[in-house]
Amino acid sequence: MTRAMVLFAHPCEESFSAALHKRVVLALEGRGWEVDDCDLYAEDFSPVLTEAERRGYHEVPDNTGPVAAYVERLQAAEALVMVFPVWNFGYPAMLKGFLDRVFLPGVSFRLEDGHVRPNLTKIRRLAAVTTYGGTRLRAALCGDPPRKCVTRAVWHVCRPRKMRYLALYDMNRADDDRRARFLGRVATEMETL
Amino acid sequence: MRALIVFCHPKQDSFTGSVLATVRDRLDAAGVEYRVRDLYRSNFAPVLTAGEMDIYLDESVNTGPVAADVEDLRWADTLIFVYPTWWYGLPAMLKGWLDRVLVPGVAFLMPDGENKDIRPGLTNITRLGVFTTCGASWWLTRFIGAPGKRTLLRGVRLICARTCKTTYAAHHLMDSSSDASRKAHLRKVAARMDRLIGAPRAAPREQTA
Repeated sequence: MTRAMVLFAHPCEESFSAALHKRVVLALEGRGWEVDDCDLYAEDFSPVLTEAERRGYHEVPDNTGPVAAYVERLQAAEALVMVFPVWNFGYPAMLKGFLDRVFLPGVSFRLEDGHVRPNLTKIRRLAAVTTYGGTRLRAALCGDPPRKCVTRAVWHVCRPRKMRYLALYDMNRADDDRRARFLGRVATEMETL
Repeated sequence: MRALIVFCHPKQDSFTGSVLATVRDRLDAAGVEYRVRDLYRSNFAPVLTAGEMDIYLDESVNTGPVAADVEDLRWADTLIFVYPTWWYGLPAMLKGWLDRVLVPGVAFLMPDGENKDIRPGLTNITRLGVFTTCGASWWLTRFIGAPGKRTLLRGVRLICARTCKTTYAAHHLMDSSSDASRKAHLRKVAARMDRLIGAPRAAPREQTA
């Protein structure tokens, strides 16, 4: 059975992000996958990499101590799906902090001669489901940092066989119809991921 | 000139701390008034809460939880970020500062009846400086698309004054840096700071037909 980790970051239950999150979990479970649903706000994750963690950052394997449970969950995953809103051209701090604190040397990458080598290669499928306030053009003008964070930075340490970046742009003007269509697309993509 | 420095590093004795000292030194030398927002030492909470999300669009109250930061932003005409690049991006601490402080009505103006698009709100910022360190090489950072740099130099830049001047310096391959490379980088930071706060750019010459 494929084990999927769903990383979700949005504070509000009634948000569209929360609806996307539910749809993702439902679709993956519908395929008979084992879903580890990691709702960072609900779990009260602390995104701040502390001074002690920074000092011990490169001490493999002791560096995983403060976040051992999360490391275990991440390393068990064969699929990773990130569900988040884009705020100010990037991940919410909550999700960025997950990368800062859990994607450690020895966990997500190894340093060989100062070069990053992928270490989360168990993850064969990678997806992001996200919403933007700005238009696609506006995001592209900024270089679309969140898209690159997922499709290049996270991709780089997983080297997945399949990757999907599903984004609904221009959220503030999206009507019910567009939102419903996006939810449908997310469900379909999760069924075939 | 009034500069706001947003400093983000868990260790004060880090190289990023030396970069901050260099930035302050150049501002002191030029007699520029500045404020330092040290996110770690002041225990800034980077998590945008459900309560803040509820009032996010209500411009009469959304600055309440971060009033001092908003006041700093409105006071400044020069905004400088000093931080390490982690995962090609901003540390969560700094990203959270953007999430919580750059709210509608401050950083951008939401679409209304007259305006269809989001409009810039930080038009008082005429100089933007970004100083960072990267574990990755210049090439790898380029390949990934330098999301951190772009978040600030394109994203935040877009909501500053139209003529905003920018500067950027990054020390790459931090994990194999040497005394010499670090010193050279601090000299680069000093030179770029001087240029950033130097005489304003001359107005473009009028085109003749």
